[in-house]
Amino acid sequence: MGNLLEHMGIERDRIHFSWISSAEATKFVDVVKEISNKVRALGPNKKLVKDYN
Amino acid sequence: MNDKDIKIVSFLCNWCSYGAADLAGVSRMEYPADIRVIRIPCSGRMSPKFVLSAFREGADAVWVSG
Amino acid sequence: MDVNLCVGCGACTEKCPGKFDDGYNADLKQRTAIYVEYPQAVPLKYAINPDVCLKLTKDKCGICEEVCPAKAIDYTQKEERITLNAGSIIFSPGFKPFDPSRFDNYQYANFPNVVTSMEFERILSATGPTMGHVTTFPKLPLNPKKKQDKLLAEKRKDPKKIAWFQCVGSRDINKCDNAYCSSVCCMYAIKEAMIAKEHAGGNLDCSIFFMDMRTPGKEFEKYYENAKKKHGIKFIRSRVHSVTENSETHDLNIRYVDEKGQIINDTFDMIVLSVGLEITQETKEFAQKLGIELTPSGFCKTSSFEPVTSSRDGIYVSGVFNKPKDIPESVLDASAAASAAGDALSAARNTLTKAVEKIPEINVVGDRPKIGVFICDCGSNIKGVVDCAGVTEYAKTLPYVEFADEAMYACSQDAQNKMVEYIKEKNLNRIVVAACTPKTHEPLFQETLTNAGLNKYLFEMTNIRNHNSWVHKSNPEIATQKAKDLVRMAVAKAALAEPLKEEKINVNDTVMVIGGGLAGMTSAKSLALQGYKTHLIEKKDKLGGEAHKLYKTSQGEDVQTHLNELIKEIESNANITVHCNTTLENVDGFVGNFKSTLKTDTTSFALEYGVAVLATGAKALVPTEYEYGNDDRIITSLDLDKMFKENDAKLDQLNSAVFIQCVGSRQPDRPYCSRVCCTHSVDNAIELKKRKPGIDVFILYRDIRTYGERELLYKKARELGVIFIRYDREQKPEVVLDKGKLLVKLNDHVLNQPVEIEADLLTLATALVPRKDEKLANFFKVPLNDEGFFVEKHAKLGPAEFATSGVFVCGSGHYPKPVNEAITQGRAAASRALTLLAKKDNLFTSGTIANVDSMKCSQCGVCVAICPYSAPRFATEGRFAGKAEINAVLCKGCGLCVASCRSGALHLRGFDTHQIFSQIFALGEAV
Repeated sequence: MGNLLEHMGIERDRIHFSWISSAEATKFVDVVKEISNKVRALGPNKKLVKDYN
Repeated sequence: MNDKDIKIVSFLCNWCSYGAADLAGVSRMEYPADIRVIRIPCSGRMSPKFVLSAFREGADAVWVSG
Repeated sequence: MDVNLCVGCGACTEKCPGKFDDGYNADLKQRTAIYVEYPQAVPLKYAINPDVCLKLTKDKCGICEEVCPAKAIDYTQKEERITLNAGSIIFSPGFKPFDPSRFDNYQYANFPNVVTSMEFERILSATGPTMGHVTTFPKLPLNPKKKQDKLLAEKRKDPKKIAWFQCVGSRDINKCDNAYCSSVCCMYAIKEAMIAKEHAGGNLDCSIFFMDMRTPGKEFEKYYENAKKKHGIKFIRSRVHSVTENSETHDLNIRYVDEKGQIINDTFDMIVLSVGLEITQETKEFAQKLGIELTPSGFCKTSSFEPVTSSRDGIYVSGVFNKPKDIPESVLDASAAASAAGDALSAARNTLTKAVEKIPEINVVGDRPKIGVFICDCGSNIKGVVDCAGVTEYAKTLPYVEFADEAMYACSQDAQNKMVEYIKEKNLNRIVVAACTPKTHEPLFQETLTNAGLNKYLFEMTNIRNHNSWVHKSNPEIATQKAKDLVRMAVAKAALAEPLKEEKINVNDTVMVIGGGLAGMTSAKSLALQGYKTHLIEKKDKLGGEAHKLYKTSQGEDVQTHLNELIKEIESNANITVHCNTTLENVDGFVGNFKSTLKTDTTSFALEYGVAVLATGAKALVPTEYEYGNDDRIITSLDLDKMFKENDAKLDQLNSAVFIQCVGSRQPDRPYCSRVCCTHSVDNAIELKKRKPGIDVFILYRDIRTYGERELLYKKARELGVIFIRYDREQKPEVVLDKGKLLVKLNDHVLNQPVEIEADLLTLATALVPRKDEKLANFFKVPLNDEGFFVEKHAKLGPAEFATSGVFVCGSGHYPKPVNEAITQGRAAASRALTLLAKKDNLFTSGTIANVDSMKCSQCGVCVAICPYSAPRFATEGRFAGKAEINAVLCKGCGLCVASCRSGALHLRGFDTHQIFSQIFALGEAV
C-alpha cells in the first residue's frame, strides 16, 4: 500500500499501520502523536485530492 | 500550519484500537485532535479503496490500526 | 452511591480530599475516598470507602454530592441484608498473595527496592502507577511531597539488574507454614522478566533464583526455553540466604551458594520476591461456617473424581481456593463448578424464567430517512469542553435530519423514555447518538430503538466523549469542530442504515462425545444428567481409556474402583448411547446442525447432532532409549502401576529401584513437559518404600514438578529416604546391562562426581503423546499444535472450547493432565456446551454479517479460502450453484471476505462499503 501511494506521489509518512490492544491506551496516544508530528512536518496533502473548482 | 488543516482519517478495529482509544479517554490522556475515527469491525475489513478515497477527500494522512 | 444513577463520569473524584491505598495498584499509590476499582471496570460505577470519606466519618466535606451532575450520591445508604433462595452454591473466594514483611532476611519491609511480584506486575502495567516504566524506588509517590521522600526520589534510576527470588511463602516450613507449591510463580517470574526486558530495551540483566523450575503448563516449557536461550534471562538454581543494602545508593547485595557449592556475592538494583498464594484466615473461617472441609494447607478438600465438589452437599468450589492454580485451570474450574451445580438442579431448570414482551417492528424499507440525532452532555463531561448546543443546532442542518436534541444524560431512564416518544411522535426511522463509547452503550440504545418499534440496526453511535472531550480538554474550539465532524459522519452512515434480520439458529440438542476415557465420560455424564441425548463414541472395545492402566491418584484414591463406577453410571444412563468399536467417517454441517457417518466393523450409520466434544486423549510413549525392551527389569511408569494393581510378588524381592524422569519429554523433538510424570514417580516411590522400608529408591530428575499440594508427596518421599539426584539434558543418565547386572550411571550434581547405581528395577517416566488425529481435526476444522495437541479457542479464557462454534475439547488430547484435571476439563467442556444448548430456542445470528450478491460472484474462491471461520462456501444446489454463499451462523462479521472480494459481490451488513465511503465523504465535505 505504501509503495502504491509513493508511486502516486503520496509520501510514506501519510499512511500508517499499527497494532494496539484494547488495554494499550498509552501506546495509542503515542502513535497518534507520532503520526500527527510526521504529518505536520509534511504539511497538507495536495496529491489526489478531488478538485471542486 | 493551523491545527484545523490537519485531518488523519483513522480506521480503528472495534476490538483493539477502538478500545484503546476509549481507555485513553477514561485515563484522560491528551493527544492532538487531528484524528477522525471510523470504526470498523476488524482490520480485515480494510480495503485499499478506503485509503485512496480518504486521500481523495482531502485527508492528510490515513491510519489503519488493528 | 446510587448505581442506577451513576454515569461513571468521574467528576466526583476530582476534588475528593479523602485518600487511601489503591489496592488495585498493589498499594503503590493512593486513590480518593470515592473511587472506581479500576479504569476498565464493568459496570463503570463509583463507590465510596466509608472508612476514609470525610462526610461519612466526620460529617464534613460533601463535595462529591455538590459536583455530581447525576445526583447519584447518597450518604444515607446502609448495609443491606439480602436473602436469596439457591439450590446450589459455588464458592470462589480466591486467595491473597503472601505477605513477605515478616521475613527479616529479605528486608521487604525496610528496603525500598525489594518489591513483591504483585507490585512488580503493576509497575509493568501501562495503567499502573509508573505507567509501565520500570524504575527503582517504586513505592515512592511519582511526585513526592515529603522531604525525606524527595531525597530518595533523586536516587531513582532505571534498573540495570533485577533478580527474582522464587518460592517466597511457598515450599517453606521454616519461615512460614506453606509446605505446598503455589504453582504459578515460576511462570509469572519468567513472564515478568521477559516484559521487563521488553520495556527496558534489551540491556536489562534479569536473574531468576529458583529451586526447581516448574513450567508444566501448556506451552509453558517452550516459553521457559525461549526466555533462557533467546532472551538471555539467567536461571540460577539457588535459594538466596539474605539481602543487605548499600545505605548510600540503596543497591542490594546478595550472597548465595551456587550449584557447585561456591559462595557468590552479587549486587542488584531491584529484587522481586515471587510471593506465593495463600488462603486468608477470613476465608478459612467462612468455609468453616459453611461446613466445608479444608486440607491442612487451608485449601478446599475435594476428591480427584469430583474435583469441584466440596464436602458439603450442594456447595461447589472453583479457583485457587480449590488448590493453587493458574488462569486456565481456574477458568476450567469455574466452568466445571457450573456443570456440577447444574447437574444437581437440572430438574428445576427454566422454572423461574420470564418471557419478554415483544414489540412489533415498524417497516421502514423504502421510506425516506428521517434521522433523529441525540447529543449527550454527559453532565459536564462533554458539555464542559464541547459546545453541545452548537453541535445540536449544526446537526439540524444536516441532510435527512428530522430532529435533533440535546440531553443531559442520554443514557438515563427519562432520556430513554423521551427518545421513544420522539421516535413515535416525529416518525423517526434512523437514530444517531453522539455520546460515549458504543462498546458499552450501543446495546442500551438499541434496546430503546426496539422498544420504540424500530429495528435495532437503524442506529449509529459516535463517540464524542472518550475520543473527544476527554482527550482534547484544553482545546474546546477544536473539540467542538471535531464533534461536528463526527456527527456529520455518523449521520451520513445512518442515512444508509437498513433494518437487519437476526436469523434464528436451529439447534439439534443431541450431543456427540468422541473418546470414552475419563474426560469424555465425565462430559457425557454431565450432559446426560442435564437432559440431553448424548452419543459417546469409543474406538476401542470398552470405555475407560488409559485410566484402566492407573493404580492410584496422587491423593491415594483407587482409580479402578472409581473408573468402574463411572462406566456403570454411563452404561445405565438412559440418555447416553455408547458406541464402542466405532470410528468417525466424516463431519458435515456446523454448530447446531452437524451430521456424521459412523462406522463399526460391521455397519455404518448416520448421526445428527448439535454440538461435539473431542476427548481423544493421549497415550504413553514407548521409549527408545535407556535399553528399554532389552531387559525385563526396565519398565515404564504404567507397567509399575500394573505390578501394584496385581500385587506382583516380584515387588517384595526388590532391594533397589531407580526412576528416570523426562523420558521423551522436555527435549527438542518433544519440547513440552508431560505434567503428570513427576508426581506419578514420586507417588510410586512412596508406595515402594511403604511396601518395603529397606528398599533403596532413587529418582533421577531434571526439575521435580510436584505443583500445588503434590509438593507434600515430594516432601514425604524425601522424609521416607527416597534419594533424588538431578541430571541435565546434555548429560543424561546411562543404562548399562553388564553380566546380568542393571547399572545406571550418571554425574551427581552436588558431588560433581560420577555415580553408579545397581538397580533391580528401572522405571522410565515416559512422556504422554497426543494421538495427533489430523483427520479428526480436519473434520471439525480445529487446529493442532506442532506436537499434535488440540489448540483451544483461547489459552486462558477459552480452555475447553474451539474457535469453531459448537465444538469443545477436554482431556489429554488438549494437554497431558492427571485424573482430577481431566475430569475438571470434561465437566468444563460439558458446561460450555450446555450454555449453547440452553439457548436452543433463542439463538440468533448477528445482523452485521456478510452476504453475497450472487449475480456478481465470479466463483474465484478467495472468500472461501480466506475466512477464519469457514463461513463462505460454494452453493451446491439451486439457481446459484457454484457461487459463494455465506453461512450466517458461522459468520462473525469481520469483513475479511468483503475486503478481499474482487468482484464486489460481498457486502457486510452494517459496515458496508458504501456506508464507510459515506463516512469518508462526509469528512471530506468539511475540507
